[in-house]
Amino acid sequence: MGSCLHQHDCEEYECAGDWSLYKNIDITGVTALNETVEGSAKSVFKPWEQRSDLSTVLASNDDDAELIVFIPFTTDVKIKSICVVGGVDGHSPSKMRAFLNRDDIDFSQANDLTPVQEWELAENIRGELEYPTKYAKFQGVASLTLHFPSNFGADATHVHYIGLRGEATQMKRDAIANTVYEAMPNPSEHKYTKLFTCLI
Amino acid sequence: MVCMDNSEWMRNGDYSPTRFQAQADAINLICGAKTQSNPENTVGVLTMAGKGPRVLITPTNDLGKILQALHGLEVGGEMRMTSGVQVAQLALKHRQNKHQRQRIVLFAGSPVLADKAVLEGMGKKLKKNNVALDIVSFGEDDGEKVEKLEALLNAVNNGDNSHIVHIPGGERVLSDVLISSSIFTGDGEGGSGFAAAAAASAAAAAVGGGGGAYDFGVDPNLDPELALALRVSMEEERARQEAAMKRSAEDSTAKGQQAGESSSAPDVAMSDVGLVDTTDKSKDMMIDDDTALLQQAIAMSMAQAAQAAAAAGGGPATTDTSMEESGGDDQDLAYALQMSMQQAAAAASAAQGSADVNQVLGDQSFVSSVLSSLPGVDPNDPNVRDVLASLQTDEGKNDDQATKDKSK
Repeated sequence: MGSCLHQHDCEEYECAGDWSLYKNIDITGVTALNETVEGSAKSVFKPWEQRSDLSTVLASNDDDAELIVFIPFTTDVKIKSICVVGGVDGHSPSKMRAFLNRDDIDFSQANDLTPVQEWELAENIRGELEYPTKYAKFQGVASLTLHFPSNFGADATHVHYIGLRGEATQMKRDAIANTVYEAMPNPSEHKYTKLFTCLI
Repeated sequence: MVCMDNSEWMRNGDYSPTRFQAQADAINLICGAKTQSNPENTVGVLTMAGKGPRVLITPTNDLGKILQALHGLEVGGEMRMTSGVQVAQLALKHRQNKHQRQRIVLFAGSPVLADKAVLEGMGKKLKKNNVALDIVSFGEDDGEKVEKLEALLNAVNNGDNSHIVHIPGGERVLSDVLISSSIFTGDGEGGSGFAAAAAASAAAAAVGGGGGAYDFGVDPNLDPELALALRVSMEEERARQEAAMKRSAEDSTAKGQQAGESSSAPDVAMSDVGLVDTTDKSKDMMIDDDTALLQQAIAMSMAQAAQAAAAAGGGPATTDTSMEESGGDDQDLAYALQMSMQQAAAAASAAQGSADVNQVLGDQSFVSSVLSSLPGVDPNDPNVRDVLASLQTDEGKNDDQATKDKSK
């Protein structure tokens, strides 16, 4: 039976409401570096109840345990704590480093820059452990970049779930979030899948 | 980011005219295709040999700047592939728009000096940073090169986003082989439009040439209008050439044949432009301006060719005003027919002054068969009939004018 770090029993109190920051994630903008399957990073952001569901996995390439996940939000958020469910048999990440509001982190930069906060992770198959943040630094977060530099000894790192707890502030950092102005029509972007019928 | 090989090995002439020139043409084509397929694409070029890798132009979507940067390059030195690719990676890392995907196109003409293990390590690093790699292997082949490059490709490849093309020397032109390769088409359907235009003109110039999965390098499912328009233009061209050949065979003068062939090449280019107008039915206003300018350009170029052509060029310009009232859709059609007939008229008068070709195109049955194969045009439609009738009477006017000028 799982028990949270809060002093109550999870089955009675609805923890799910707290871990609903995944709804504020701009899921189309989620990218990862060194993932084996392109797009698998999006699958690890799901409701709290599904955290032990090991079917969704973000796996790094073989022989390389490093992973970087870039998470943009639709509004500015304040993050209180982070929960990471890793894989079994040493595939779980052992360290986590967070960078805020930067979209240009790749592996060389991740190792050079000092992160906003660093954590030592433990194997957390059932998602019981959460890692609190230095809350004062995590106010007004428009994008979060998580770097997992190492794991518990396996060839590759597997992450099944990343949960974020906090508040959404309804404020947007950029005036225009993500627009693409069409300079020229591009047939491949305008494929119709449905037929329209008009009733006059 | 395109990595160009400008080492000493590029002086060799086994690709015409030199390896370096063939490479430059291929790079021009790639840059054009990428910038056309998506207006947000950017391309940059760097050279790998010489004193060291040097970025000629940082990623930009301005084709003119790219072409200018490629101008006046010199061959020399040895290619440094690994440092070249690393510099390319750095240039891509500092791109303006982080949503663009990163890709390196590597032209490997000289022998590959690096170890296979080093190349595989480089490939893994590229994969880790989400950079795709296209390799164009040509020029020198010392046995190991193919193996090494294949190993590099396997290390980088992530879900089939990277490709390799081997181009052995010989008669085939580097750019032509590239057009039909996966480097152009593997990009998505957008690249095929540009490749189709290039392939169409290449195929017309080299009779029976041009490889590609589809008839004209354009998938009929993706762009049926363009495919149809290309097919129509090919049929017209074929009919015109048959008539031209018949005429020159009858007269049996070498002079007639030469003129016919030399004018066929610019005609193909013109008819491509004409087709762009017909397929663009939504831009009626712009077409008026475009074709007016085109009429002038055609008139000017023809005037340099022959005296008689000048009269023919002046003729259709006046008949053009009568076309204005022909009605919506048919206007575009009329312009296209007008232009192709006008070139045919110019070519005919430049060669022999006979109106055989005009007769072919003025032939009601041929034109109506062509029209019926076009979507949305009914040959029995009164508008279309009016257009055809007026075209024929204008042809009569044209001949009269030409004969009047001659008699003066």
